[in-house]
Amino acid sequence: MTNYKYLIIGGGVAGTTAADNIRQLDAEGSIAIVGDEPYPFYSKVMLSKPEYFMGKIPEEKIFLKQPNWYGEKKIDYITGKQVTSVDPKSKTITLNDNLVIQYDKLLIATGNTPRAWDIPGAEKDGIFSLRRLDDYKKIKSFIPNVKNAVSIGGGFISFEMCEIMNRLGISVTLIIRENYFWEPILDKESATIAEKAMEAKGIKIIRNAEVQEVTGDTKVSGLVLKNGESVACDMVIVSIGNYCNLEFLKTSGIELSRGIITDEYLKTNVTDVWAAGDVADYSDLILEEQVELGNWVNAQVQGKIAGLNMAGKPQPFKLVSSCNAHGFESNITFVGDIRPEKNKKVILRKSLDSKNIIQLFIKFGELIGATFVNGAEELPTVCKLIETDTKLTGFESQLSDPSFDLKGLMK
Amino acid sequence: MSNFKEYLRDKPDSKISKIIVNRDICIGVASCVAVADSTFKLDEEAKAIVIDPLAADDQTLLMAAQSCPVQAILLIDKAGKQVFP
Repeated sequence: MTNYKYLIIGGGVAGTTAADNIRQLDAEGSIAIVGDEPYPFYSKVMLSKPEYFMGKIPEEKIFLKQPNWYGEKKIDYITGKQVTSVDPKSKTITLNDNLVIQYDKLLIATGNTPRAWDIPGAEKDGIFSLRRLDDYKKIKSFIPNVKNAVSIGGGFISFEMCEIMNRLGISVTLIIRENYFWEPILDKESATIAEKAMEAKGIKIIRNAEVQEVTGDTKVSGLVLKNGESVACDMVIVSIGNYCNLEFLKTSGIELSRGIITDEYLKTNVTDVWAAGDVADYSDLILEEQVELGNWVNAQVQGKIAGLNMAGKPQPFKLVSSCNAHGFESNITFVGDIRPEKNKKVILRKSLDSKNIIQLFIKFGELIGATFVNGAEELPTVCKLIETDTKLTGFESQLSDPSFDLKGLMK
Repeated sequence: MSNFKEYLRDKPDSKISKIIVNRDICIGVASCVAVADSTFKLDEEAKAIVIDPLAADDQTLLMAAQSCPVQAILLIDKAGKQVFP
């Protein structure tokens, strides 16, 4: 049986960064990455960027590591394989071809998967979700013949895909279940800035709507909504959220929630098993609670920290990370804890022309998160205030005044 | 034509003489800030700028450039050769 000192499940940003950092600390220890895609490490961020989609950036630029990188770093990269089970007692994992691999230390960095669209007719040609390079390739080859597209769901991917399709000259309809885009994370006023920017470019937004059925023979020709309305279309992009596929861990004894539960060192309840990236439900030292967060920088830094911990250089994970979307000449950024919650105080900080709105979320007198619609120049200050647990008691009324300098609050 | 912003670096013991940020493709992920916050920050357009080209050592700069998911950071050595990407 093959044994690796360090075995990593997942070849995305967390897994690859972990392997890179382990190699820097341990020049000889054997390392393997098991990935279910056939590609070397690539940028998932780039998949929904217009510059890439429209060919302004060459396609090969998506690869952040070349195939020979793995050999140079003495990392075995096992591609196109899925892990079907993990057995911590024998310290082994089993792959879908029944190959069993033994580990000394295991990192699980399997990321997440788009939620299935459980609608009659959802299997027809022309229905896509976008998470992986193969999804991108399918959409890219399908799109040249598309005239009317529908994007379903209010989120970053949907926002960016609406822009890409709009720039390609496709008529785009956005269908959201909510009253407005990004409800309930954004407030109505912030969302209106983004919605107006979309509508100004010709995007039609249908709110409070759900799809009943997909129509068409083998290929989508339209959607029937629950209110009976029909929307003609020849392509649908579905972005209704992601989930972590943890089926392969059900018998492992690893403590699971919607993700894999870890401490602040990204260690699970099982000896010599760590988790990092979108799949980790980690103990956040800044927010002082368990957090699951899916963004590039979070996954990258967690990969690094997990790698250091596995290679014997213990370090806790502590980071205020943000994720953002650009589109329709707007920039939308979420930072820290933005989950809607009753006992959070929300302060709106608007520019005088109301083109920029920041929502500041305060809990127990401290800033814990924020959303930005434009106005990102205050992002570094907001990150610092969250990170340093700065008490804002007594300043609440001034925070909404755009002329009040947030830097003055920094310790 | 890409919108490149160049930052010269004259640092003893460093092989890197120039840091370039391609502002057209920078999308403000801030992975460079997470790796090297003494060198990079985001400006008002949420794009990366260099605040101190001398602050980080070569290894940290390379890691910051490698961390960018759109490869918007280019590193040039003293002979004018692009070392990354």
